Amino acid sequence: MASDKELSDFLKSVEKRAFKRAVYAVRNEESALDIVQDSMIRLAEKYADRPAAELPLVFQRILSNATMDWFRRERVRSVVQNFSEFSPADDDGDFDLLEALHAVDGSLGTESAYDAVSRTQILGAIEASVADLPGRQREAFLLRYWEEFDVEETATVMGCSQGSVKTHCSRAVHALAKALKAKGITL
Amino acid sequence: MTPHSLHIAPVSHVALEARMAGRLASALTECSAALPHEVSERLRVARDQALSRARKSRLAIASTAVSAAGGGTAVLRGGPAGGSGLPKWLSALMPLALLLAGLMLIGQLNVLEQIQVAADIDSQLLSDNLPPAAYADPGFAQYLRKGPAP
Repeated sequence: MASDKELSDFLKSVEKRAFKRAVYAVRNEESALDIVQDSMIRLAEKYADRPAAELPLVFQRILSNATMDWFRRERVRSVVQNFSEFSPADDDGDFDLLEALHAVDGSLGTESAYDAVSRTQILGAIEASVADLPGRQREAFLLRYWEEFDVEETATVMGCSQGSVKTHCSRAVHALAKALKAKGITL
Repeated sequence: MTPHSLHIAPVSHVALEARMAGRLASALTECSAALPHEVSERLRVARDQALSRARKSRLAIASTAVSAAGGGTAVLRGGPAGGSGLPKWLSALMPLALLLAGLMLIGQLNVLEQIQVAADIDSQLLSDNLPPAAYADPGFAQYLRKGPAP
């Protein structure tokens, strides 16, 4: 059973990323805060007796479900949301990922070449590109590379096969690289 | 391409994707570290609420376990039976039933003890040199009353 301190430390470590993940999905900070709060409370009420090691997977699953619940409620309210579950056309097969990697590396790793304003703009463009990803690709990308889950854990949280996770992640990285290049992050 | 860009050796497509993803994740981490104060404060409040709920949840689990383990004691005290799930009238009859069962047990033990004493007497009589029929003989009874001759 996770102690109070373990639960508090876990929530503290994950809350900001959870908030951002929810913002990318719902594109509204207030709603994202509500989703994170609901997820924290669900975790505390129903899974407080679980060992601390199980909390990350359980919490991410709860967060995904809470986000889906939010979309269901929004659909009922007839609010138009762009949450397509389908991938865009895979026309980026010949996209040069290495070139984009050089571009991102140069943009983020060389503070002397860019002032703080342009850096903030680059970070903002990256966030916007992540938010523009299709839902499943974004979820796979964030769980796999931001939460640093392995493929199996990501598949468990998403409720899909490991092959699907790999496909979603690959497409997400390519889509992000292409979008960033289109936004001029190739300076 | 900037002059500060790293020179990346030819690597596999998967490794390239992982490297790109790592850079992007690092950028996202930088974004999330600089949240507005209001958002950070709201997250802190949400965390505190969650911890409070967790404490209540643990207390509820613990109290359920204690009431399950101490249900019998509660019945003997004659207290409210709401927690044990038994009807109130049944809880009230439980001490009486236990008392009757105890009395029956004590009575049974007494009977067994008497049987054991009788069995001991019988075995002593049967194992004695004097046959039991001698006690029915009037002359022997007279002998016993007068005592042995000096």
